[in-house]
Amino acid sequence: MSIRLKFDYRKFPADPSEAFPKRRSATRPVIPVTLINGDRKVTNLAIIDSGADLCIFHSEIGEQIGIDIESGKPLIFNGITKEQLTAYFHDIKIGIGGYEYDCYAGFSKDLSNMPYGLLGQVGFFDLFNIAFDYKRGRIELTSRDNH
Amino acid sequence: MIENTDLRKVLKGYSNKWIALSADSSKVVGVADNPKEALEQAHSNKETTPILTRTPARYGTFIL
Repeated sequence: MSIRLKFDYRKFPADPSEAFPKRRSATRPVIPVTLINGDRKVTNLAIIDSGADLCIFHSEIGEQIGIDIESGKPLIFNGITKEQLTAYFHDIKIGIGGYEYDCYAGFSKDLSNMPYGLLGQVGFFDLFNIAFDYKRGRIELTSRDNH
Repeated sequence: MIENTDLRKVLKGYSNKWIALSADSSKVVGVADNPKEALEQAHSNKETTPILTRTPARYGTFIL
């Protein structure tokens, strides 16, 4: 049976710039996600990022749930800059709105400039049908029946 | 629980920090340079299910 979860887009402060002098806020598809390792868990904000291949979170969050980050399998990955980044992958559980599932997630020190974890194609988009309604500020996740 | 999803006022003024928000995201219950200390402050403030996030050095634009 599929599970339906509804979230609102979140609004964050944003500094104005030369290109967008009136900008004061940014509306983003950011949701609370609980990372679970055995009996240890931490809830943090993560952005639903269709441009990310995988799910990657800050290494500090992984350490907080008792993971020895660099004992995981490493992956060199690319953002939109030329810089190459490293993540280490571990088997954890992810909880979203009370719905829990297994996820092979990456943890990286190189996300330090990012405010959120990344929910990407494998480990998130492959498990949910996702409807974005920016105008109404709503996000709807429907778990796939075969999970 | 009604969740606050407008974090503009709640997060404004914090830069390059780990922030623990209350479970309804209505207020900051911990601020530190690492999540451990932010969570400890949250628990000291009797918040049992805080939500962690980072604040960037500058509230710029993200293109992911």
